[in-house]
Amino acid sequence: MRRRQDAKWCAVGRGPHSLRQVLHTALRTVRQVIGAPDYARYLEHHAACHPGRAPLTEREFYVQFLGWRYAGTAGRCC
Amino acid sequence: MLAANMRSLLSRLLWVLVAALGAVGFAVLAIARGEHVSAAWMLIAGVASYVVGYRFYARFLALKVFALDNRRATPAERLSNGRDYVPTNRWVLYGHHFAAIAGAGPLVGPILAAQFGYLPGTLWLIAGVVLGGAVQDFTILVCSLRRDGKSLGQMAKEEVNSVAGMAAAVAILAIMIILLAVLALIVVNALKSSPWGLFTIACTIPIAMLMGWWMKSVRPGHVLEASVFGIVMLLAALVGGGWISRHPTLGPAFTWSGPALAWALILYGFAASVLPVWLLLSPRDYLSTFLKVGTVTILALAILVLLPPLRMPALTQFTDGTGPVFAGKVFPFAFITIACGAVSGFHALVASGTTPKMIMREGHAPMIGYGGMLMESFVGVMAMIAAATLQPGVYFAMNTPAGVLGTTVQSAAQVVSQWGFAVDPAQLTQLAHDVGEATLLSRVGGAPTLAVGMAQILHGVFGGNGMGLWYHFALMFEALFILTTVDAGTRVGRFMLQEIGQHLWKPFGRTSWYPSVVFSSGLIVAGWGYFLYQGVVDPLGGINSLWPLFGIANQLLAAVALCVGTTIIVKMGKARHAWVTLVPLAWLAVVTLTAGWQKVFAADPRLGFLSQARSLAGSTAPDAARRIFNANLDAGLCLFFMAIVVVVIFASAREWWLVLSKRKEATVHEAPFVETAYATGD
Repeated sequence: MRRRQDAKWCAVGRGPHSLRQVLHTALRTVRQVIGAPDYARYLEHHAACHPGRAPLTEREFYVQFLGWRYAGTAGRCC
Repeated sequence: MLAANMRSLLSRLLWVLVAALGAVGFAVLAIARGEHVSAAWMLIAGVASYVVGYRFYARFLALKVFALDNRRATPAERLSNGRDYVPTNRWVLYGHHFAAIAGAGPLVGPILAAQFGYLPGTLWLIAGVVLGGAVQDFTILVCSLRRDGKSLGQMAKEEVNSVAGMAAAVAILAIMIILLAVLALIVVNALKSSPWGLFTIACTIPIAMLMGWWMKSVRPGHVLEASVFGIVMLLAALVGGGWISRHPTLGPAFTWSGPALAWALILYGFAASVLPVWLLLSPRDYLSTFLKVGTVTILALAILVLLPPLRMPALTQFTDGTGPVFAGKVFPFAFITIACGAVSGFHALVASGTTPKMIMREGHAPMIGYGGMLMESFVGVMAMIAAATLQPGVYFAMNTPAGVLGTTVQSAAQVVSQWGFAVDPAQLTQLAHDVGEATLLSRVGGAPTLAVGMAQILHGVFGGNGMGLWYHFALMFEALFILTTVDAGTRVGRFMLQEIGQHLWKPFGRTSWYPSVVFSSGLIVAGWGYFLYQGVVDPLGGINSLWPLFGIANQLLAAVALCVGTTIIVKMGKARHAWVTLVPLAWLAVVTLTAGWQKVFAADPRLGFLSQARSLAGSTAPDAARRIFNANLDAGLCLFFMAIVVVVIFASAREWWLVLSKRKEATVHEAPFVETAYATGD
């Protein structure tokens, strides 16, 4: 899935995958399914969309991430 | 040209075969009398129905009713922010969504409904999900997706009217409280007088705290390695529990009564919801997600390998309403007892929660919304299999309250045998000994029954002489993720309360203001704690009265969600397709209002709350006054739920009439169409 060059909003595309990256992707997939924080993705997004501002440290990001994850009324089902 | 025609013909032929296979499966399940049917037929009937439903009905909903458009940019793409709006691969999102909707519901409901025999529950699980539950989940997911991830309450307010919105918000809060009480009750019933179980579950608290500290301070965000540590420690605690239970001093120290456990849970729930999230809630959440998925996978594999015979008959005499597990005839109560797995209103909250913000393309919605619910129904079918593979006498001995069975294996065996389900007192004692419990009698609430069923199945596959380990393994898995729902749910309930409360007093809504946090958490815990305690000391076992209340509330929320869905479909100009949500809505309304009416007004004191109160009126028993009060309270709650759904149905019907008769402009509050920047072809 590739992004056109004239995309109007800021986001990050994914390049082609090498075989070596497959294991990395697999672990990342498990983390995404269980809802673990993805610091690497945050850094990519931050570098692409907010250049010039210092990103959060990994620890700060984790604590904030949990705040976002557990705010609000979505929750889990029974 | 010829090849394409051939492919199309083969495809049609294949689907006809699948449908025929499913039909055969249903026929075998329905017609078999006397001989034991293999679980394989239940799986065949279920899976065939699911795939046919997905391939034809979900596609119809996607193309004709909602006209999903892959060229339309989803909020995950437009509002991408690296945290909650993140375009996610559909398989990953499927797993994420399933992990969010899966819980104890599909595991407990079918087990309780097995008192009617396996057939009613199975039919409802399969037909209900294909025509109702999966439709609801999918509809709400798509509606929320097109509104940038708005919640169900917000959609009710905007698309129907503010009365519906407020009614939905209040209903959700009330349902949350009943749900938490019922789940906590299941845990208490599973752990009382069980030192092995209590030790293992108690260990999860320090284990989670260690994980939490590790993930925050030592290696921030490294969830996987902390989870591996957590699981290993958990298994160690599991083994240790067996040793503890046999220890002369520690064994009795961990043998707690129901009321004591109830207080412990109440205190725990309060603490877990006010402590920082990283310390207890979050690590428990990650751990329990692994365990949920693990339990389901292990159970599925074991059933598929073993294909055990179903010993429970297709229909029992208790379809007439005299059942010991809960009162009520098969109509409407089979459809109330099984909620998650067939239709569950709570899923509408999850489907309008984090998932719509992560969908990459509209075309992924059927798989995630419809397909996710199908998988949950499959879990329900497996739970039904686990219950039906038990010897019926054992099933009834485990699920009938002590008030009916008495407290000895002799009295229990006699009562159960009189119902026509032969069981031997020695058999009951031996089974309890095999699984490492003092007794299996009256362990109501579904979790121990599932654990015994799973232990027998897993033991049948893997052998060995560790039935006790398998039993406690199964019990621990279930109790753990139930407990996590309790503490996470208390926190969610607190947010809801603060959200509603801030209309009365502004500062109440500040979610980080400590006094408000403590006060609202306290209120929520007091709410479910009250019902929990009531259930624990109830001689009829608590599940008897609370589970139907939960089922009614859950189905009513589903009715609310379907009202919102219908309103949106009508406003989109697709009123001729509105039957897709109207039919399940009508069914649910009839079933839940009938059930609610019977629970409040039925003359039989076992069934009707008010009759129960009246029958206790002259009693001199010390707890009579409390029980009368509780029965009246339950009746009031039931009437309240019924009133809410009637209000929402009328408010929605008014909107439909206004729009259809052109008295009102059909404005749909979707986010504007923006073309996606993704290349097509994924």
